[in-house]
Amino acid sequence: MASSSLQLHHPISIPVKSSPTSIFMLGFFIATTVLIVAVRVYVARKSSYKRAGSVADLVRRGQLNSGRGISKPVMYDDPFNNPQVKISKNNSTVEMCGKVYKLAPVTLTREEQDIHQKRRSRAYQWKRPTIFLKEGDPIPSDVDPDTVRWIPANHPFATTINDITEDLAQKNVYQKHGVPFRIQAEHEALQKKLEALQSDQKLNNMVIDPGTARNFERPFKSNSKLDDEQVEQKSTNGQTGSRPESQPNSHSSSTSEEKQTL
Amino acid sequence: MTSLYSSTFLPTNPLHTTLTRPATKLYAKSLQPPARIQSVLQYNRKPELSGETPRVVVITSGKGGVGKTTTTANVGLSLARLGFSVVAIDADVGLRNLDLLLGLENRVNYTVVEVLNGDCRLDQALVRDKRWSNFELLCISKPRSKLPLGFGGKALVWLVDALKDRQEGCPDFILIDCPAGIDAGFITAITPANEAVLVTTPDITALRDADRVTGLLECDGIRDIKMIVNRVRTDLIRGEDMMSVLDVQEMLGLALLGVIPEDSEVIRSTNRGFPLVLNKPPTLAGLAFEQAAWRLVEQDSMKAVMVEEEPKKKGFFSFFGG
Repeated sequence: MASSSLQLHHPISIPVKSSPTSIFMLGFFIATTVLIVAVRVYVARKSSYKRAGSVADLVRRGQLNSGRGISKPVMYDDPFNNPQVKISKNNSTVEMCGKVYKLAPVTLTREEQDIHQKRRSRAYQWKRPTIFLKEGDPIPSDVDPDTVRWIPANHPFATTINDITEDLAQKNVYQKHGVPFRIQAEHEALQKKLEALQSDQKLNNMVIDPGTARNFERPFKSNSKLDDEQVEQKSTNGQTGSRPESQPNSHSSSTSEEKQTL
Repeated sequence: MTSLYSSTFLPTNPLHTTLTRPATKLYAKSLQPPARIQSVLQYNRKPELSGETPRVVVITSGKGGVGKTTTTANVGLSLARLGFSVVAIDADVGLRNLDLLLGLENRVNYTVVEVLNGDCRLDQALVRDKRWSNFELLCISKPRSKLPLGFGGKALVWLVDALKDRQEGCPDFILIDCPAGIDAGFITAITPANEAVLVTTPDITALRDADRVTGLLECDGIRDIKMIVNRVRTDLIRGEDMMSVLDVQEMLGLALLGVIPEDSEVIRSTNRGFPLVLNKPPTLAGLAFEQAAWRLVEQDSMKAVMVEEEPKKKGFFSFFGG
C-alpha cells in the first residue's frame, strides 16, 4: 500500500528496487544521445568552415588574415616542428610528407670554400660597368673604357636616353608626400594655359562689351529719328574699336560672364 | 652545442650534430665522439633575425628557368608568414612575372620607371599583398617600356635608401628577383645587394652559369652567397642519372641554403597565382622553401641533406592498409 501510494504521488519516480540492467540501459541511451548530439554539432561546424565564401573559409585558405578576431587564429606553423616532418630516432632518416629519405652530412669545409673563391677570382676578372652608352657614342675622357657597357639602340628593354636628369630622378624617388613631380608640372601647365585663355577672353570682353556702353547712353527720347542719329554718332565716335561681329561676341561675353560667376 | 664538419665521417657512422646558433666550431677529429646528423632543426620557435636590417638579398642564377622567381615568391611569403616585413622587387625588366606568381598582376599600376619620371610616389608603386599585409611587391617597369640605364644601378640604391626611411618603417628584407644572364639587368639588380642566393639545378649547364655568376658577384664585393638547389629528383640521383646535392656543392663550393625537390604543385600554384608555401597541407617543396626561409633569417646553412628515398617499411598491420 505504501509503495503504491508513493507511486501515485510521484508518478515519474522509478521503482527503487530496479534491476542493474535497466540502469545500465538507461545510461547507455543517455550516453548515445549525447554522443549523437556532439557529432552533429561537430559536423555542422565543419561544414560551416568548408562552406565556400564564408569568412572562415577565407581565413582557412589564407586569403584573409586570421588576426581579425572573427575566427580561430591560425597557429604558428613551425616548419621545423611540423607533424609532417618526422626524424628517426638515430637521426639517419627523415620522413616528410609520407616519404622517407636517408640523410647524409654536408662535407664542405671552410678551407674548400676558400679554395673555390680563389679559383673564381683567378678565372673571372670583372670590372663593374659604371656607364652605359649607346653604340656609336664617344667615350668620355675621364672614363675607363673597361667600365663602359654598350647598349644597342634596338635593345628590347633598356635605353640610354633619359628624359629627366639624375638629380630630379633621385628627388622623385625620395619624395614621401604631396603630388608627384610630373603630375604637378602638368597640372601647373594646364592651369597656366587656362589662365591665359581666360585673360584673352577678358580682353575681348572689355573691348566689345555692350553692357558698359549702355551706362553712358542717354535715356530714351520720343523723337526716334534724333535717337537714331545720336546712336549713330556715338557708334562712330565712342566705339572706334568695335568689331563687325559685335553681336556674337556680346552673346559669348554674356555666356562667359555666366561661366565666371559659376 | 655546436656543429661538426668533417669529411672523414661517413654516412654509415652517423654524426651527432646538435645546433643552436649559426656559429660553428671545428673539433679535433681524434678527440671528439662522432655526432649525429640533423638536417631538420628541431626548434619550436620563431627564427631570430640575424644581421643588419634591411637585409638586401638578390636572388640570381645565371641560367634562366631554374626557379629564381618561384624562389623569390615562396621565400618572400614564408618570411612574411614568419612575421618579418618584406619588399620584393622584380628587377626583371623585359620578362616580368613575379606579379603573376603572387597573383598580383591586376594590381600593378605603377612601377619604378613611373617613380623615376615623377608620375607617382614610391609608396603608390608598392603593391601590398592582401593575404599577408607585411609583404609588398615593387616592379621595375611595365613590359612595353624601357628602363633608362643612364643612372645604372643607382636607381635601385635610391630605392633601397628610400625604403629604409619610409614612414611605415624599414623593411626587414628586400628581396631582388634578378633577371637571367649577366646583361645590364643583372648589373642593375645586384648593385644594392649585400648578400645573394644562387638558385641552380643539378645539371651541368646551370652549374657552369652559376659558377660564372658567383665569380661576378664576388668581384662586385658580395661575399655572402648561399645556394639553393632546385628541382631535385631523388629517384634520378639514386639511378645516377642526376648529380647529387653533395656533388653540386663540391663543384660550386657554396654553402647550402635549401634543397627543393621536384614538385608538380609548383606549376599548379604558378597558374593559380597562389604560392606553394600557402598550401594547406604543405607539400614537400613548400616545406623545403619554409626551411630555406628559416635559414635565411638566421644566416644559417644546411648541415645534412636528404640523399635518397627509402622504401617505406610496412608494419604488421600493413596488410589491413595501415
